[in-house]
Amino acid sequence: MNNISLKKGKTFLAQASVLKRLIAFIIDLLIINMIILFPFKKVFNGMVPQTESFSKTFDFLSSNTGSSAAITVIVILIAFLTILYFMLLEKKLNQTPGKILFNLYVESHEKELKYWQLFVRSMFLIPVFPFVLLWIIDPLVMLFTKENQRLSEILSRTKTVEKYKV
Amino acid sequence: MVQQKNKWGYVLKVIIGLTILSFFISLFIGNDFKSLDGNVALIEITGVIVAEKNSDFLFADVTYPDEIRKLIKKADENDNIKAIVFKINSPGGSAVASEEIADEIKKINKTTVAWIREAGASGAYWIASSTDHIIANRMSITGSIGVIASYLGFSGFLAEHNVTYERLVAGELKDIGSPLKDMTAKEKALFEKSLTQIHDYFIEEVAKNRNLKEKDVKKVATGLFYLGAEAKKLGLVDELGSRDEVIDYIETQIGEEVNIVEYKKEKGFLGSLSGVMNENSFFIGRGIGSSLFTKARLADSVSIST
Repeated sequence: MNNISLKKGKTFLAQASVLKRLIAFIIDLLIINMIILFPFKKVFNGMVPQTESFSKTFDFLSSNTGSSAAITVIVILIAFLTILYFMLLEKKLNQTPGKILFNLYVESHEKELKYWQLFVRSMFLIPVFPFVLLWIIDPLVMLFTKENQRLSEILSRTKTVEKYKV
Repeated sequence: MVQQKNKWGYVLKVIIGLTILSFFISLFIGNDFKSLDGNVALIEITGVIVAEKNSDFLFADVTYPDEIRKLIKKADENDNIKAIVFKINSPGGSAVASEEIADEIKKINKTTVAWIREAGASGAYWIASSTDHIIANRMSITGSIGVIASYLGFSGFLAEHNVTYERLVAGELKDIGSPLKDMTAKEKALFEKSLTQIHDYFIEEVAKNRNLKEKDVKKVATGLFYLGAEAKKLGLVDELGSRDEVIDYIETQIGEEVNIVEYKKEKGFLGSLSGVMNENSFFIGRGIGSSLFTKARLADSVSIST
């Protein structure tokens, strides 16, 4: 931020705040919960018995391999729909609803955002190994890089920036 | 970049599009995965049959009616399930719990099969008898139609150590079955009368469930266990065999290929550990009597096991 020289009446793109990015992501997750996860709720209810706790559900799934395999397939499908949500919005708008609210934008190191870049930056949403490792690695890398880039962002040659109006 | 107004218009389009897509996919795979569920439910009845799971059985593999009721309900309500197999490996247990499970099985409007593995004796046999068809291995331990409430008496031991039993009761028979005193002849007679009564219920239920004459069941209801082969001759078991015979029988009943899906008990970490520990804890005919009775004695109440 220190390197940016601001001129009056102009807008500038600079490094995005981590907190704003986090809140924007939570807003997107809430929307995803409503539009993508909600329709699958009935399917899950039919496959997993209602239990008092998460551990009991886990016990059921570990003892019922048929159901857990089917659930894994559904969860991966949901993950791809979620990635589609990010890809469609970021390709056209460089933003998602959460990012719009905080003036955050996705930028490519190249000329324009390509689909492969959008996929790679969202692949942490796939809940299977090795992508799940990104749940830990992504935020860690984010804390130690100059422009607060996640590992997925570095790999996809993209970054998230914030628009400042002066 | 896109204008602010157009942005929200596009966001709305994507949201509506993805919602519709998600609904269609969930409808499609909902039906698809139902068919993968299987058409025959397998419910295990293992370990000692108890009325309720409590701290006494923290480390024991037990079966209790509430748990089985839930599994039966889930299988019965699933339209894809055409038959339910009860895989039994239990020495028996509580008479009340056994009857409760047997009653639940009788309510099922689908083909039911009891598949007796190592043991399906006493209360577990009561449960098996409530199914449409019983299949056992020729070496399976089954039968044991009897009731037990034996316990260790400590009165002699206490007397030897100069400990006296101060009897304070309101109600002549309130401390019947207390191990701290000798049982009187009257008490013993009353006790045996109750046991006989329960034994009669047991015989009556088995006869009714198996379409046998009560007098015939009475002949074999000495409390003795029978090997599968012997039980087959006595009419206590319909068929000798194992998994293949179970599948063959069900296929002839439902007229379609069998695809078994396990409806398992929820097993926690302690439950998994317990499987190793409890295997040899009980013997045929004893069921949970001794274990329950330890607690019951202290409360001056009686527990009877099948």
